[in-house]
Amino acid sequence: MWRRSALSLLAVALTATGLAAQTARDSALSRRLKARPADSLGRLEVPEAAGRGVRPVTAQDNAALVMALEHKIRCTCGCNLDVYTCRTTDFTCTTSPAMHQLVLARLDSGMTEAQVLDAFQKQYGEMIFMQPPKHGFNWAAYLMPFIGLGVGIGLVVGLVKRWAKASPRAPAQPAAAAPAVGATPEEMDKLKQELEKFEA
Amino acid sequence: MTELGNICLWIALLIGLWGSAVAFMAGRTHRADLGRSAERSIFVLWGLLVVVSAALMHALLTHDFNIEYVAAYTSRNLPVFYTWSAFYAGQKGSLLLWALVVTSFGSIALLVNRGKHQDLTPYVAGTIAVIAVFFIATMVFAANPFERLGFTPPDGRGLNPQLQNPGMVFHPPMLYLGYTSISIPFAFAVAALISGKLDTGWLHAIRRWTLLSWLFLSCGIVLGMWWAYVELGWGGYWAWDPVENASFLPWLTMTAFLHSVMIQEKRGMLKKWNIGLVVGSFLLSIFGTFLTRSGVISSVHSFAQSNVGYFFLIFLIAAALAGFGLLWYRWPMLKAEVQLESMVSREAAFLFNNLILIVIAFAVFWGTIFPIISEAVRGTKVTVGPPFFNQVNVPLGLGLLLLTGIGPLIAWRRASLGNLRRQFLWPTAAMLVVAAALAAVRMTDAWAVVAYALGAFVVATVVQEFVRGVGARHRLHGEALPVAFVRLVGRNRRRYGGYVVHLGIVMLFAAFAGLAFKRDTEVTLKPGQSADVRSPYGWTYHITHQGVSQYDELNRFVTAASVDVSRDGKYLGTMKSEKRQYLDSMGQPTAEPATEVAIRSDAREDLYIVFAGAVQGTEEAVYKIVINPLVWWVWYGGLVLAFGGLITLWPSAQGPTPASRRRAEPAGYVAQVGA
Repeated sequence: MWRRSALSLLAVALTATGLAAQTARDSALSRRLKARPADSLGRLEVPEAAGRGVRPVTAQDNAALVMALEHKIRCTCGCNLDVYTCRTTDFTCTTSPAMHQLVLARLDSGMTEAQVLDAFQKQYGEMIFMQPPKHGFNWAAYLMPFIGLGVGIGLVVGLVKRWAKASPRAPAQPAAAAPAVGATPEEMDKLKQELEKFEA
Repeated sequence: MTELGNICLWIALLIGLWGSAVAFMAGRTHRADLGRSAERSIFVLWGLLVVVSAALMHALLTHDFNIEYVAAYTSRNLPVFYTWSAFYAGQKGSLLLWALVVTSFGSIALLVNRGKHQDLTPYVAGTIAVIAVFFIATMVFAANPFERLGFTPPDGRGLNPQLQNPGMVFHPPMLYLGYTSISIPFAFAVAALISGKLDTGWLHAIRRWTLLSWLFLSCGIVLGMWWAYVELGWGGYWAWDPVENASFLPWLTMTAFLHSVMIQEKRGMLKKWNIGLVVGSFLLSIFGTFLTRSGVISSVHSFAQSNVGYFFLIFLIAAALAGFGLLWYRWPMLKAEVQLESMVSREAAFLFNNLILIVIAFAVFWGTIFPIISEAVRGTKVTVGPPFFNQVNVPLGLGLLLLTGIGPLIAWRRASLGNLRRQFLWPTAAMLVVAAALAAVRMTDAWAVVAYALGAFVVATVVQEFVRGVGARHRLHGEALPVAFVRLVGRNRRRYGGYVVHLGIVMLFAAFAGLAFKRDTEVTLKPGQSADVRSPYGWTYHITHQGVSQYDELNRFVTAASVDVSRDGKYLGTMKSEKRQYLDSMGQPTAEPATEVAIRSDAREDLYIVFAGAVQGTEEAVYKIVINPLVWWVWYGGLVLAFGGLITLWPSAQGPTPASRRRAEPAGYVAQVGA
């Protein structure tokens, strides 16, 4: 009984402390929230705290072609993201929504995907694409790693061939983990010793 | 307290200079008193930097806003948990953390190796002192964390909302620990090169350090991925950003080293290559910091954005000249004891594994700096983003995955046809079965099919190794299977810990391949309205908007949008995505609202919901909904990888292998060459 009373008292004390702390913490935004009556239209009490207002999504916003195009174009706000990722991630950015509208407008005007990309390149230069266009010097970006790989493979193969010629041919190694089958007890003992050594 | 910190920083600079000078003199003259002085100067440096760090922490916790760094990264209402992370949130604090960790690790390395490696120790102390001096000098002359403002603002600017996440508390220190611990292997490599003691002794001294460094880097990278995924809200975890690439580069070279060092220990080969990898890893850790601190990547013309960049560039060039210059000087002493005999051998497989790791590192490096090269050569700016890195690295990564399965099983020196059949029959069968099964279920992405098939190959090789090892112990020692398993791993932690790491790698590859099936869409919903989203697995999520609520919480004002989620008619729960308006101590908004994502995760896929915003200030909400297959495998793959790393790292009574111990003694060379 006394235990229950003590727990009740503790709960009351904690609630009171919590309420006091809550009152002390209340922000200016929170005070505004409490001052306003409930809105039956579902308006937010402090709309600016929900970030910048957004417009309803249209079917065109989700179109595969639009998404594919916007994944290829870089947002120019300095975020290093493509337009689609930026406009659906960084809700403080005003550049990517504007570029999205530009993509929609260009598609609406009857431009093909290639023409839209071309128009962006004319406007911003090559840096507007998320990867270097494959022409001229830009090929160096794509080919160098594979040239490096080719040279590396050539070097390793060449060296191994030279070394193999220089060193006497040793018999092929048996499998490292091959279990002995049908071995004599002496062979098993030897194997046991070898295994001990191997594991050390 | 801050004055004490500032004074200690200056004293640390002088002690560091003294330590560097006497250490190299001690190495050259073999004077024990100078050697002891150099060693002690590292301990004193550590003590001084502890005081400096305590002073900065004191300033952060007591809200001394007269200090520019404190005012820039904290505020009165910032939770203590994040005030701690403000220590390394900015450039000045992170430089101090670098210096503190370098001297901490340096002190531990010197204590652990006391009485051993007498010829190397003075040079190790000297190299650590030089690295510490560089960071201290950068702080003293370019980025002093105790710099004072001309006035005292009533409150600070606070921590960037995106950094107020638990992931950000642990991710940067892990990466710093990874970067800085590379300094110890580098110091030993430099010491071995200067002293000419190039047997495997120095490798024994650094083995645990390289593993530790690799483990910290791995954990730091995975934690960074987790932070990006849960905090940034773009539905992914790796964006091939220059900063991410900077952390990935030394991880790749360290991974290459951890493989190639086995060949040096076992066969006395690849000595030059191994030293090159250690030096290269250290340079890449400095390069990463240079890249992120100089602003050089956004444009060649923004180079002068931060003068700290110049400090790093000069140090980078000096360290490269010293490291590779010494390697060139000792080149003739680093001849292999034996030569590679066949292309079909473990040595060759490890060599190709190293080659691919280095080519991936080169591809990442090349892609990261290509914008600068293009601007310098053509005067044209280009962007090198994720499409480029994925295009180049996916085939290379798959090649690496194949070698992950081949390397550990193929015989040393030269594999026979019988060996190949015995070792690879079942793994190849597993690979073909998985490939056929995926083709049967019409998996359309060819890269993903190859990734899963190769993953099955690697898993089969690992399982086969465990089964055979446990079976052999069971037969030979008569041990029960669980006992045999534990003893098998315990007796050869390096080998079986490595296999566990390989399993972690397969899990990560499986997760990366899952990205090919990612789906995302945006919807607008009024309260009570629903949207259906189809998963790549074929089921449908039914998402119903419940409404938007607003309330106070800690140092922020929250706008929370809730949805009820069901899958194919089965109710899964309510998910809540938030906009957090952070507030200063006066209750006024600090920055624009930050977004918190709602994630429902299981082994198959993540449902990732982002509250994009409210339409015209009403409860009508725009949501971004992403279905991300197999993301769970990134986090658990990371855990498995770290667990494997810990098994490998765990101290064992046996120490290095007998072959490696023989190579640590000069006489051992003769024995090995003659063998």
